[in-house]
This record gives sequence, structure tokens and C-alpha cells, in this order.
Amino acid sequence: MGYHWDWAVLFRAVPTGETTYLAWMLSGLQMTVMLSLSAWAMALVVGSLMGVLRTVPNRWLARLAAGYVEVFRNIPLLVQLFIWYFVLPELLPPALGTGFKQMHPVAQQFLASMVCLGFFTSARVCEQVRAGIQSLPRGQMHAALALGLTLPQAYRHVLVPMAFRLIVPPLTSEFLNIFKNSAVCSTIGLLELAAQGRQLVDYTAQPYESFIAVTLLYLMLNAIVMLGMRQVEKRARVPGYIGSGK
Amino acid sequence: MISIRRVSKFYGDFQVLADCSTEVKKGEVVVICGPSGSGKSTLIKCVNGLEPFQSGEIVVDDVSVGGPKTDLPKLRSRVGMVFQHFELFPHMTIAENLIIAQTRVLGRRPNEAMDKGLKLLERVGLTAHAEKYPGELSGGQQQRVAIARALSMNPICMLFDERTSALDPEMINEVLEVMVKLAQEGMTMMVVTHEMEFARKVARRVVFMDEGRIVEDARTEEFFGAPRSERAQQFLSKILHH
Repeated sequence: MGYHWDWAVLFRAVPTGETTYLAWMLSGLQMTVMLSLSAWAMALVVGSLMGVLRTVPNRWLARLAAGYVEVFRNIPLLVQLFIWYFVLPELLPPALGTGFKQMHPVAQQFLASMVCLGFFTSARVCEQVRAGIQSLPRGQMHAALALGLTLPQAYRHVLVPMAFRLIVPPLTSEFLNIFKNSAVCSTIGLLELAAQGRQLVDYTAQPYESFIAVTLLYLMLNAIVMLGMRQVEKRARVPGYIGSGK
Repeated sequence: MISIRRVSKFYGDFQVLADCSTEVKKGEVVVICGPSGSGKSTLIKCVNGLEPFQSGEIVVDDVSVGGPKTDLPKLRSRVGMVFQHFELFPHMTIAENLIIAQTRVLGRRPNEAMDKGLKLLERVGLTAHAEKYPGELSGGQQQRVAIARALSMNPICMLFDERTSALDPEMINEVLEVMVKLAQEGMTMMVVTHEMEFARKVARRVVFMDEGRIVEDARTEEFFGAPRSERAQQFLSKILHH
């Protein structure tokens, strides 16, 4: 193989001279982290709400939440992204649509990406929250109501806290997924980690170094997430339950 | 205190309760027994509105349970209930289990609720376990905490659902002791149980159910001395020679 390895390329200055290729890559990493964390926060909030709605006695609310899941789970992520970024601004009332288009281009890309990843992931979080709630014995709800708690109080203090403790492992997977899925947002021009990797190839003609560096950064990122979630899992353990180590 | 008048309940076509009527006066202990699937547990869950019913009426302390304007959470906060599987909240410590409803429903201050909780814990002999989690206690201990939790709301009456006590004999005794004491103090109680010893000792009346019907509703001495229905005779001979 006649490939000329050159890891030093990372530390070389970019054509405009004000920074290095490594700095480009790190700014991509920063964008990936910001995008994923904000989308994750959104997915947790919306997903929990929808997950609860899926289990409430009111049939219409439960159906509404079920429809929500089907919409966001059954359309490819890439297509959803294009709809949020290209189609929706045109369909919005002119005031809103123009407002969006007058934002800084990076802000437009970031906003569309965050909303897209947030809703997409929320549908998956929703299903896990639902599964968690439904795995609790029926008596838990009865016991909460029998004490005089209202239905919302029963959810807030009894069902949801326990359900979340049970679903930490699958939530960890979703949290890791959101970092990986964020790479899709490079297709609308958002300069996150994967996009910076490709840009590096274009500028330096050193594809292996670029993509290996990108790969290592993703691995590192998700290793940190995993370690963090392991701590969460430890703290969420309920004494006396299977796997609690007690 | 509790009056159940001609209550019927259906799951689709299946009738779970058929025309059930009975009465529990203030300070009375009534035991409900009968084979599994006879609707005992469903009946007492109707009393605090956990199970809806299609016809008839249940009135607790002058409040109609099925009434359209009834504030069910408020009514339930005044009716204590202890469940077959205890149903303590597993992610809360025993102390937290005891204060959650006091603070959230009755609006008591946390330290006031804690005092009350600890007093009740002492009463059921579990002071040392306040900071443990339900999963770390035995079945009998959990059941006693469940009783203390219900009592923390100063209920006007108590409902016990103990169909098939999943407890070993020693534990049954520690739970029954607490319940006997409660009955002697004049608590109004409706108790679903197979513990005939308990029924004999503390119940004023025994209600015997079969296939959703109240087959027999008699004073305790009469029920054990000479049950009128053949079905109750069969049941008693089986359960007492066990």
C-alpha cells in the first residue's frame, strides 16, 4: 500500500492560518456534544411526558401518545431532518418561517438538528418509560391512590421514579445512540464531528488519519457517557431488588 | 359507617359481584371469606373506589363512593387500606413510605409527619428499620409497615386485603397481633382473610362469598357454630381441617 501516513497533519495550520486542523476537529466535537446533550434533554422531557400519557386511564390521551410514537419512530431520521430543515420553514406562518430563515445559518442548522434528534429520540424514550411503568405491579398504583394521592401525584411520586430506576440500562443505549445519530446532521451542513472529519479529508487528502481520529473521538465520547451512566445506574439501584447486589 | 347496597359489577359479560349488600357499623370488625375468585377482594376495593361498579350504591361515612361529585382522593385518604402484596413503595425508605401521603395529601409538615410515622413504627415494633428499604424487610415486617402507613392518615376505618397471605405462620402471627390490637381499640375494619382464628377472635360478623354473591352474612358464633348454607359448610370443613 503506497499510503503515506502523516499524523502530524493534525497539528498543521489550516489554509487561512489562524488555527490547526486538530482545532477544527475539536470544534466539531464540541458541536456534537452540545447538540446531543440539548437534544437528549428535550428527548427526556418529551419522552417521559408521552410515556406517562401512554399509560393513563384516559383512552384519548393514550391514543394521542401512541400516534405520536408511530409518527416519530416510523420515518427515517434523515427524512425527518430534511423535513425540519427544508420543508417546515416553508410551511410555517410567514412571520415564523422568515424569522427562522433570518437566523444565523449555524443557528438554523443547530435548531433544526436539535428538534429533529430530540423528537426522534423522545419516541424511543417514550416507549421505554411506558414499558417501565407497565412493568410495575398494578397494586402500586392502587396503593398510591388508596392513600389519597391524586392520579398525577401517584405518577409523580410513585410510578415514574420507580419506572426510571428500572429503565436506566435501555436509556443508556438511547443516550449513546443520540451521539451517534447526531452525525446525520452533517447532511444539512452542520459542522459537527463527522462533518469536520470529512472536511479534513478534503483539505489534507489524509482520509485515514482523519477518520481514525474521528472514530477515536466518538469512542472516547461514548466511553465517558457509559462511565457516567454506570454511576447513575449504581445510584438508582433499589435495595432488595434483583441486581442490587444486596 | 360502611354500607354496601345491592352492588353489582361486570367485566364485560362476566359478573364479578352480584347484588351484594352488607353493612359495617362503627367499631365493628367484619371478616369476608370465601374461595378464591369469589369476589371478596373486588368487593373491598369497591369500598374505596379502586374498582368501579355498575349498579348499586356504597356509602362510606355518608359519602356515596360512586357519586359523580365525590372527591375520591379525599375519601380514600380517610379510608386506610392494606394490600395483599403490601405494596410499599420500593424506592423509598420505610420512613419515606410513612410520610409521603401525610405531607402530600394532608399537608402535614415533614417533621410532624416524621414524628407520627416513627410513633406508628414503634407501635408495630419496627423502629430500628426506619432507614431501610422495603426490599430489605421480611414479608411480615413489610405488612406491618403497610398497616402503619395506612394508620398514619388517621383513617376512620381500615380495609385489609389478605386473600392468600403469602406469609409463613410465624409472620402471620406478628401481623395478626397488630390487627387484633387495632380491633380492640375500636377501629372499624373490613378484613378479607383466610385466618379463621382471627375471625373467631375479633370479628363481630363473617361474610361468606361465593361466585360473586354474599352467600352468608352472620354473627361470628353463628357462622362457625352452624353455617346455614351448604357451600359455607363445605368451605369451613376444608379450611378448618387444613
